[in-house]
Amino acid sequence: MEQSLSEFMSGNLETFWAMTGFANATWQHFVMLAVGMFFLYLAIKKNFEPMLLVPIGFGILIGNIPFASGMEVGIYEEGTVLNILYNGVSAGWYPPLVFLGIGAMTDFTALIANPKLMLVGAAAQFGIFGAYMVALALGFAPDQAGAIAIIGGADGPTAIFVSSKLAPNLMGAIAVSAYSYMALVPVIQPPIMRLFTTKKERLIKMKPARAVSQNEKIIFPIVGLLLTCFVVPTALPLLGMLFFGNLLRECGVTTRLAKTASNALTDIVTILLGMTVGASTQASEFLTLETIGIFFLGFMAFIIASSSGVLFVKLFNLVLPKDKKLNPLIGNAGVSAVPMSARISNNLGLEYDPSNYLLMHAMGPNVAGVIGSATAAGVLLAFLG
Amino acid sequence: MAISTAAYAQGRKGLCINEVMVQNDSSVVDDYGLHHGWIELYNSTHASMEISSVYLTNDSTKPTLYPVPLGDVNTEIPPLQHVIFWADGEPNKGTFHVSFKIKPGETIYIYDADQQTILDKVTIPTDLKANTTFARKADGKGGMNQNAWEVRDGGDKYITPSSNNIIVDTNTKVESFRILDKSGVVLTVMAMAIVFGALLVLCLCFYAISKIGSAISKANKMRSQGVEPKMVSKEDAPGHDSGEEIAAIVMALHEHLNAHDQENTILTINKVKKAYSPWSSKIYGLRELPRR
Repeated sequence: MEQSLSEFMSGNLETFWAMTGFANATWQHFVMLAVGMFFLYLAIKKNFEPMLLVPIGFGILIGNIPFASGMEVGIYEEGTVLNILYNGVSAGWYPPLVFLGIGAMTDFTALIANPKLMLVGAAAQFGIFGAYMVALALGFAPDQAGAIAIIGGADGPTAIFVSSKLAPNLMGAIAVSAYSYMALVPVIQPPIMRLFTTKKERLIKMKPARAVSQNEKIIFPIVGLLLTCFVVPTALPLLGMLFFGNLLRECGVTTRLAKTASNALTDIVTILLGMTVGASTQASEFLTLETIGIFFLGFMAFIIASSSGVLFVKLFNLVLPKDKKLNPLIGNAGVSAVPMSARISNNLGLEYDPSNYLLMHAMGPNVAGVIGSATAAGVLLAFLG
Repeated sequence: MAISTAAYAQGRKGLCINEVMVQNDSSVVDDYGLHHGWIELYNSTHASMEISSVYLTNDSTKPTLYPVPLGDVNTEIPPLQHVIFWADGEPNKGTFHVSFKIKPGETIYIYDADQQTILDKVTIPTDLKANTTFARKADGKGGMNQNAWEVRDGGDKYITPSSNNIIVDTNTKVESFRILDKSGVVLTVMAMAIVFGALLVLCLCFYAISKIGSAISKANKMRSQGVEPKMVSKEDAPGHDSGEEIAAIVMALHEHLNAHDQENTILTINKVKKAYSPWSSKIYGLRELPRR
């Protein structure tokens, strides 16, 4: 068949045009690109959790470049580079690696010095189950409700881990919601803390924590692992790695490993996790009514979690001796979101009394919240998985 | 070879006989379109299992009657999945056609690669009718206990070659919560009790550990002062030094000794050269000595 040069060129250009983003774009793509850019704006200009929001925001841009399916570039096309990187999210092995790093970074001294603060971390997990009840009331199935409710744990890796098992189709929205609200903790928590506390309570000065021996710090991850994982083995990937990382840090003979786990490894996994989670939020999956519901429930979960932490401290104070009362401003820190929520406790405490430093006290419930949310995740997986 | 056999032996403990049909007149057909008796094997583990080199037999005096051939990719059973062997006595038809036929009253064995370890066995009832099967009540459950098996006639009790004996079409856990706990209160109460319980135990445990640790450190402190801990009453025992006390002592020493008033420091700007790779450097390969 004879074909003129111009026909040949126009045919090829037509094929090329059909492959471009312009030919495949829909309005949903542009909405998602705008969402990605908004995240980048929040991260770069407003400094909201930039370590998370920059990879997620840019990931949203990567995941929402329009293209014709079958080009073997998409994150959901099997065997593509993005799909291989996404396997760490879908198969759930990035979150335990992040937990290894968190364990290697976290100093549990405040918690070991004052173990009753663990109960504050446990109380704040009511945010998860309160949100679960609200999600059921909104018509979500129990497994979906559990996956959404884990946002209340204020722990991104845990949210990804649980949602990848209970509701993989909602994982993108859940992860983005969890990280967004974690970035917004400084905005969400202070009004709740003010609402539920009196001025007198905010001025409570807590006794300085006792010194903790090296032996106690070494025993903590071992006993912590045994006790929590015997109760909820389903949380083993998260708690196992968390306590392992902490032992690397505290045992004193694996400094190099602890450094790698807390720096290089965490950074690598955070980059891959954030970017692929962002890229997984493709318009067709993300722009749905369900996503709006998830964002609403995530917001509810954070409010319930912060409130229950503060209210529990007030309740706890009723049974504590006068000289051992806790400042309710540390209750919000039980939601995890390390160390942001502990910093908020400290800042608010200083606002009312410039000599009342609550940071170290708030770190107790804060790290207990990490253990608590991982335990709650294990419970959800055991009941609904 | 011995190591790999041992590894197989350990991993293959989850391999079991799951369902057996002796006389097949109208049930499932083989890959040649023919009706034969069949034996369904089940991988009850959560990992893929390679079953080549195990043995199937209906005669315990001849444990190696049918060795599952090597080199067939289909002999790897995925986790919690099944595979069917046709008991037609025609092994030349392929991997999944065994060299014997089965009859009611016979016992079927799976032997491991060591030709001695029985992985599973089942005795077929003598009165098993045509087109009925003898199957485990639940896939892979019950070990070698005959009571874990039942006769299935294809009516209410399905005959299920190459699929689960219990057909599950929903997540029963989720369904039960959907029906019995519509508001989520039950799950909330149970879950909060578990989370609280776990952290409460951890909390109590660390109170105990701190008490023990504190007692030991006090005793050590007294011994270092030449006092036998047993001779001192509780009231006279030295207390735990707080951080503030330690800071005050250090400050006093600093004032007394007038130490470090002027630091002898020289500021230099030198380019740090690292021509070697950390991977090949010996110092990076050495473990730090434990701190004492």
